[in-house]
Amino acid sequence: MLLQIQNLHKIYNNGTHALKGISFDIKEGEFLVVIGLSGSGKSTLLRCINRLIEPTSGSVKFLDRDITHIKGEELRKIKAQIGMVFQQFNLIKRRSVLSNVLNGKLGSLSTFDTILEKYSDEVYKEAYKCLETVGISEKAKVRADSLSGGQQQRVAIARSLMQSPKLLLADEPVASLDPATSNSVMQYFEKVNKEFGTTVICNLHFLSLVRRYATRVIALKAGEIIYQGAPSDINEAWFRTIYGEEAEEVEIR
Amino acid sequence: MILDPELELHPQKLIAKQKKIADKFNLYKAIFLDIFFVFYAVLVIQRAIYYKFILNLSDIPFSWNEILYLFIGSAIIGTLWALSKTSLSCRLLGIAKDNKTTKWTVEIFGWTLFNITFIAGWIITKISIVGLFSSEGIAGAERLFGAMFTPQFRIFDDALFAMIETIYIALIATLISIPPTLILSFFTARNLMKDNKISFAVYYVLRIILNFIRSIEPLIWAIIFSVWVGIGPFAGMIALLVHTIASNAKLYSEAIEGIEQGPVEAISATGANKIQVVWHGVVPQIVLPFLSFTIYRWDINVRMATIIGLVGGGGIGTMLMQYQGLAKWREVGLIIIMIAFVVWIMDYVSAKIREAIY
Repeated sequence: MLLQIQNLHKIYNNGTHALKGISFDIKEGEFLVVIGLSGSGKSTLLRCINRLIEPTSGSVKFLDRDITHIKGEELRKIKAQIGMVFQQFNLIKRRSVLSNVLNGKLGSLSTFDTILEKYSDEVYKEAYKCLETVGISEKAKVRADSLSGGQQQRVAIARSLMQSPKLLLADEPVASLDPATSNSVMQYFEKVNKEFGTTVICNLHFLSLVRRYATRVIALKAGEIIYQGAPSDINEAWFRTIYGEEAEEVEIR
Repeated sequence: MILDPELELHPQKLIAKQKKIADKFNLYKAIFLDIFFVFYAVLVIQRAIYYKFILNLSDIPFSWNEILYLFIGSAIIGTLWALSKTSLSCRLLGIAKDNKTTKWTVEIFGWTLFNITFIAGWIITKISIVGLFSSEGIAGAERLFGAMFTPQFRIFDDALFAMIETIYIALIATLISIPPTLILSFFTARNLMKDNKISFAVYYVLRIILNFIRSIEPLIWAIIFSVWVGIGPFAGMIALLVHTIASNAKLYSEAIEGIEQGPVEAISATGANKIQVVWHGVVPQIVLPFLSFTIYRWDINVRMATIIGLVGGGGIGTMLMQYQGLAKWREVGLIIIMIAFVVWIMDYVSAKIREAIY
């Protein structure tokens, strides 16, 4: 079992109860998609997994090891094995695509070498390979903010691939992209999932994308899991329970 | 970690409880603020408006007893006011019950306070339209402006050297300030220091020290250092240096606090340690703002260096002071024109550089 989450709670300091006892398992090689309205706790869930947010109670087991309360060096070693891609890409805008991708390797190199930006030839080769995987190696020397949104997200994927992650978390990776670009970015996640066998947990909004890419779906509503199963089983009735009575499905192709 | 079961079921209760405590605390604050308002209004009306304006006394009677009585009176009125529906402070702190009376009284009292302050200010600054347009005064002004349009070029080479000295004082103060400011700015950025108690204490103490240094004007630092190291450009340079470090550390650290958190989050998610996060996530975002602030500061320092010269900080300011003391207005005119010219050029150049790097 790659990841086991048990009875996870998160209460923010302002009193918001964002996660109310979430439990699920995920096997190696799965493409799990988390759906739900904005504010249903999807982002909190992902951030509790790689501990960008401290969960209030419950446990997270990664590769059969409880990582809920580890700290310092140990935590960084775990973080280095979990890649993350964000909605806003979160690249360093003024730096080149290549140095953004190299940032993905920080966790496994010495502090001194990374500050002087002394990377070995292997690391450079690896960076170019990651860029080739997402089909953008010709832009390596270009400033990150001169790329389009879809290209920036591909760079962000390449950065997380530098970690050779066991698990890749994607927090609404296509929410700020147009429909056509969304699809192409999602294809890279699929490629990473199929070719490298990397397990992916992805937050998504559009059901058509969910049906196309997910091997399993979890739906959150107000911090609780209300649906768990195959994407093809989400029918009209389930859709209305997840997104509310007035919701109507929009198709993106 | 076991959660309080009560809290787990009703987080709303916790919020309501916290709000109640906050409201109570705000009521105390409102009482203090209302006492202050009343005391302030009474003092201003008595001392500035009644004694100075209505009785037109030149020697204003003063006794601590009188002020004590006034304060006790204000304290009683202020407390009662805060507990009534008409309180200004309750409204400001957001704990007043909204109704028509509150709205009206707040407006009335607010305006009264503002008007009292404005009238007292007018009386205290001794505003006099007559003084501005008296024939004697205008003749003096004419003499000065006239001299400025016929500057004395005989002292041009001396003035030029003094001007260059001023520019270098500003430049050296700015350059030397950069390394200490850089180091200090990381230790005074809240988002980098808030994680543990020791670093937060360091942040807090440094902030207080820097605020104190910054609140003393460079002019006063120049007076201090001209006594310490003797009158001359060195005193002026140190005075500027001290103030530059304190104020740029604030600007820099605010730039650090204002960076995008996303990239920082992304880099710490890769398993990077704290130093790597700062170096690869924070630093690339702040290099240009830092450069821009520093260049702008050089520009400010040139202007300040001329002023600092007036109290013995060397450069063109000291020269201006000497000729002004001798009432040689044509020489003063030349110096003023040169200062204006240099300041204008510095302003233009620094703006152009800052535009180019962004």
